[in-house]
Amino acid sequence: MKFTTPDDLRAWLDRLAQEMDLVAPRDVDGHVLYRPVTSSDEILFDYERPELSAKDYLLPATEILLRIEKQGHRPIGADAPMGNEVTQEEVLPERKQVIFGLRPCDAHGFAAIDALFLEQDPSDRYYRHHRERTVLVGLACPQMWEGCFCTSVGGAPDDAAHLDVLLRAADEGYAVEAVTEKGTTLLKGLKTEERKGDPPPSAADAELVEMADPARWRQLFEDELWVRHGERCLSCRICTYVCPACRCFDVTDRVVSEQGGVTRIERIRAWDACTSTNYRRAAGGHNSRPTKPGRIRNRFFCKFCYYPEDFGALGCVGCGRCIVSCPVDIDITEVMRDVAAR
Amino acid sequence: MSEIGKEIQHKARELLEAGQVDCVIGYEASPRGGARPAFVYEPDDTDRLIWNGACVHNLVIYLHDKKKPRKRGEEPPRVGIVVKPCDSRAINVLLAEKQIERERIYVIGVACDGMEDGTGEPPARCARCGDRMPVVYDVLLGEPPEVAPVEEDYADLARVEDLPPAERLAFWLREFDRCIRCYACRQVCPGCYCTTCMFERDDGLWVDMGIELPQKHVFHLGRALHLAGRCVECDECERVCPMELPLSLLNRRLVREVEALYDHRAGREETLTPLLFELGEEGSPL
Repeated sequence: MKFTTPDDLRAWLDRLAQEMDLVAPRDVDGHVLYRPVTSSDEILFDYERPELSAKDYLLPATEILLRIEKQGHRPIGADAPMGNEVTQEEVLPERKQVIFGLRPCDAHGFAAIDALFLEQDPSDRYYRHHRERTVLVGLACPQMWEGCFCTSVGGAPDDAAHLDVLLRAADEGYAVEAVTEKGTTLLKGLKTEERKGDPPPSAADAELVEMADPARWRQLFEDELWVRHGERCLSCRICTYVCPACRCFDVTDRVVSEQGGVTRIERIRAWDACTSTNYRRAAGGHNSRPTKPGRIRNRFFCKFCYYPEDFGALGCVGCGRCIVSCPVDIDITEVMRDVAAR
Repeated sequence: MSEIGKEIQHKARELLEAGQVDCVIGYEASPRGGARPAFVYEPDDTDRLIWNGACVHNLVIYLHDKKKPRKRGEEPPRVGIVVKPCDSRAINVLLAEKQIERERIYVIGVACDGMEDGTGEPPARCARCGDRMPVVYDVLLGEPPEVAPVEEDYADLARVEDLPPAERLAFWLREFDRCIRCYACRQVCPGCYCTTCMFERDDGLWVDMGIELPQKHVFHLGRALHLAGRCVECDECERVCPMELPLSLLNRRLVREVEALYDHRAGREETLTPLLFELGEEGSPL
């Protein structure tokens, strides 16, 4: 195996932080979160599962799609030629980005988003841009944490599949595996040596959750279990915002300033959540998904029925964040078991 | 099963069998340990109901879901609900604000000496709270515990208030920065029931849908202000926050202010917040 020492790893990360945007797990007021860092001193190397996924860095919670500037003003109904100058500008970060310390489930989450945002035609140009400028450097989980069930949905705590580089703790250092060409290129700056043996495998001993296929799910659309699981839902957005695979967004134009005949507007997109009351509200006020059980049903159907059928990937990577953060204990594995047992 | 748990089951069964209510909202054991909200419609289902120190949720929020009939043309459902003293204050607020009808709810009040789910410290709200008896109930379960009255303690609030303004702002911006705008604080609050929240309007002039510091800042201050004189200090907003924002500091700042000006503490009685409605001879005390 290729092996690197903690000191060499830090030196490499410090150089990366100079050259590109580096995101890594950090302690933010007692919460472990993926955050931008400027030095390896800020990085946590021994942590469980960051409380939020890393999707903010490829599908930002708020992203400016266009900056629009409008000059002049045309009175309503006037026949005069426009005389308006409208300019649109797209500003996307050009710097390379490295996400270090990514847990395999979070990389799996990007693969799930890829299925719709990258692999469909047309692809999402903003997501594609971030995807292309980003290298994913994973750090295997030594074990599965509270709520984790990655092994039930095709993942593993040391799964290299969706990463560019995978590190595993071994012998007071790290075993280094280049998974993609992108990873190989990035690793050129890291000092490594060859060592005999393999890193210890991660403990993947969590009980497997049985999965039903999409056809089975469809048969249960009208089942009473959606009321039972959905009735206590608060219609907040925690589960969708902590999820590495949820990808809904909304778009709006916001006026930033109006001065001297120039109006500056930003077209933004921001995360949205199918669990929220108004997600399905249409012009005129009609809401086609007005009840909590209906919205909860949709969330789970999206993950295990619609998304696999339409885009060929599960919408769940088994990170367990929605389970541990739900204030009223709506448990996705309990729902999966109930569906499989019906 | 605790004695009170059995009494809750018994009362729920009696109410459902007699057709006095259509649903009882209480607590059930969570398969992962602890407790969670439960909705019981059948007498034979009442053995799901439990009572223990993990029953922290304020169930009054769910009464909003029961305001409308299940089917058009029917009467709205009648509901039995299990409440602790803090929860019960929210019922008074909703009664005063004409959100619920007293005759449609049957209140199963439980005497309380603080929650303790066995995982460590009791919640901060319980350490601060001296209320042992629900303020409104149809049946009272449990004996009012003999506990020395708790002194009002605003020490944690004072630590923030004593900061110079720039540092105080920095403190709050640092907290708001962690917010993910999931709205859990709003969704869990019995007092937050606007059909469309002003912070979520498509044509909102003050705040757009961006999940950024300015929007989060405005949202949290606005949320707290909209609850001035209405917040019953159940602290559910703080409990559910995934990023542990100290929201009770904002709420209690306003609680203290309204009490000093109007001698009003939300939910102790069935009265509206005086803040928006009361102008004395000399005008508002503000």
